Amino acid sequence: MSRTPSLNLFVLAFLLSAAAMSGCSDSAFDSSFVYSPGTLDLMPEAQNGSKDVHGVKALLDERFGDPQHLEAWLKMPIDFGGTMTTVGEITTAESGIPVIKLGVEEGISLPEQAGSIQFVSGACAGETLVVSQWDPKTGEANLAAAPSQSVASGDICFIDRGTVIQSGRMLYMRHCSHCHGTSGDGNGPTARYLTPKPRDYRNGVFKFTSTNDMSKAARDDISRVVKYGIPGTYMPSFLLMKDEEHNAIIEYVRFLTLRGEFERKLVAELSSDYSKVALSSRLKDEKKADILKELNEFLAEDLKESANSLGDELAEIWATSDTEEALIVPSIARIPDSTESRRRGRELYLSKALNCADCHGIDGAGNGPQTIAYEKNPTTGQLYNEAGLHDVWDNQNQPRNLQLGMYRGGRRPIDLFRRIHAGIKGSRMPSFKNTPHEDIWNIVNYVLSIPFETEPGGTGIAPSAAAAAVTVPPAN
Amino acid sequence: MKKFWALFFFFWPTVAMYCCLIAPSRGWWFPSPPMSRTGVQIDGLFYLILIIVTITFVGTQYAIGYVLWKGATKEQDSKAMFSHGSHKLEIIWTIVPSFILVFISLSQLDVLAEIRVISSFPEDAQKPAAKIAEVMARQFEWRIRYAKPGTDLTTEPSPGDLYFVNELHVPTGKPVVINLRTQDVQHAFFSPQLRVKQDAVPGLVIPVWFDVKEVGEYDLVCAELCGWGHYKMKARIVAQSQGGVDNYLKQLEAEQNEDGTKAESAAE
Repeated sequence: MSRTPSLNLFVLAFLLSAAAMSGCSDSAFDSSFVYSPGTLDLMPEAQNGSKDVHGVKALLDERFGDPQHLEAWLKMPIDFGGTMTTVGEITTAESGIPVIKLGVEEGISLPEQAGSIQFVSGACAGETLVVSQWDPKTGEANLAAAPSQSVASGDICFIDRGTVIQSGRMLYMRHCSHCHGTSGDGNGPTARYLTPKPRDYRNGVFKFTSTNDMSKAARDDISRVVKYGIPGTYMPSFLLMKDEEHNAIIEYVRFLTLRGEFERKLVAELSSDYSKVALSSRLKDEKKADILKELNEFLAEDLKESANSLGDELAEIWATSDTEEALIVPSIARIPDSTESRRRGRELYLSKALNCADCHGIDGAGNGPQTIAYEKNPTTGQLYNEAGLHDVWDNQNQPRNLQLGMYRGGRRPIDLFRRIHAGIKGSRMPSFKNTPHEDIWNIVNYVLSIPFETEPGGTGIAPSAAAAAVTVPPAN
Repeated sequence: MKKFWALFFFFWPTVAMYCCLIAPSRGWWFPSPPMSRTGVQIDGLFYLILIIVTITFVGTQYAIGYVLWKGATKEQDSKAMFSHGSHKLEIIWTIVPSFILVFISLSQLDVLAEIRVISSFPEDAQKPAAKIAEVMARQFEWRIRYAKPGTDLTTEPSPGDLYFVNELHVPTGKPVVINLRTQDVQHAFFSPQLRVKQDAVPGLVIPVWFDVKEVGEYDLVCAELCGWGHYKMKARIVAQSQGGVDNYLKQLEAEQNEDGTKAESAAE
């Protein structure tokens, strides 16, 4: 793979070698990332570029690599793993192989174990050296073999580069890929047997988040889903996984998500002018050679630049989504559950302004009028073949039957509050962020009472349900 | 050469007998010591069967070896005896095994009744307070529902119930009952260390009682091939003192009523 020098600072490769990892069995089979249908709908020259210019595929591979050879695009808010440090004093062992002192910076904490050192600057840049002996106290690393070039003090290197993302990949392939697919496209071998379909991460959309409607999913949101599963779907709980395994999987899911979203954004820059469909209509009054020339210029200048700015945009929104700034925090504590609050909630539920019943039905059974209406596909402009609502993945999207007491995004009051406040991303559940928080709490109280109503429609609230006191956690 | 084969057939039952004799002390027979009261009884039944099977197997194998040895040491030109059908023998080897089988089935009835028949449950397990949780199996996880602290578990969900997944907390030292159900296909609630195994059948609510002797973590796995994700269906049973379980439920209640305002910002 050819690499432009300017990218070298950001894009550094690390080999996913079986020897460096935990044994041969882990890489029992080779796998590859697939390109999105959007990419494959582009004219071949836009997909593949030419000799000197990168097409979409090369731009993507350069930054994300393939499963056997992952790339770390350092600007992405992903913890790839490893410790960055500077080379200090270099001595030579009896065998003639240099002994490198690492961690000369102040306040750096060196890892207990070190398997390899990868240099990112100096004469050895790009080279990975195996450590034969490591002393975490002094930071002295004995190398298994001499480097090809001489190492100088001041060179920057990584200890055990990319260990997190590598183990994340291994675990993902073992536990997740059979549904979510090697590329995170929600199309693994078992996916076809499932309803609802496994999530396709590549839209960059996760449904159940704690963040506001314009933000992405926080790490914590993905973590909750992996830990506790999603009742009502095939996503099971992975509660018994160790914390470090759990975190590694989340980083790898973020990696696949960012790869997919980056690909979509690149394709969006090209698809209006250089898709196969656009080409056939343009060929009516333009020459192919002119189009190709224009495409080459676009790829060489505009797209290369926008690839970097798209990366910045993605990095920023995913990074801020993980901060408190994006978190939805109700301005008032939950209104104590009472018959009065539920009545008010039901009024709001049926009100014209919020119109919950339009989808969820007047008795909360998820059978509102919208479920029998025919929707237009926003991309193609055609009516869908089947009645009902559709999500951004083009799957039929059933409004939740609130009578079942099954809450996919969690059953805590705050979970329901956030579902209403931010909506369910990617689905037709809209955001009600402008609704006063007090009203949202009333709706939450009403919704939580629906499974226990004595008759549908909320006309009679079961006395036992009304008596169910809500314990507010102590404020400490 | 003939004698070699006769000795060969004597050798293997000898090895088998040795293995059966040392199996109990080496722990070859069970995944762990029995961690529940019924576990001890079930292990006793297994040992009974081990004894019967060892005697039968080794006995018949030695008999074969004996016949071979006789044949091997016979003179070359001696006449073979032809026999066909012996009512006496037929009756003996029909009646003896059936007595053994009847003996096994009668001797395990008490244990079976104590595990499976509600009216034979220990007295403490028949009290409503012994019912600690509902375990709802589904493809491919265990969803746990506890009653709101201070109330008894209802068969169908009640307001204030507490939910968790893949982790069941039980108090030690006393019989506890779970309501075993399934949301989809057939599963089986299996805890190897506790020697508890019960199928979950769609449409049924099956009470399962067990007691845990010691504080610790025990496996809970599905023992009925339930689909492609069967192998994922693993959870843990956390056995604690009654106080520990109460604290856990209190904490779970606080978490489940989380409203994201004060408590959460304090936690961060």
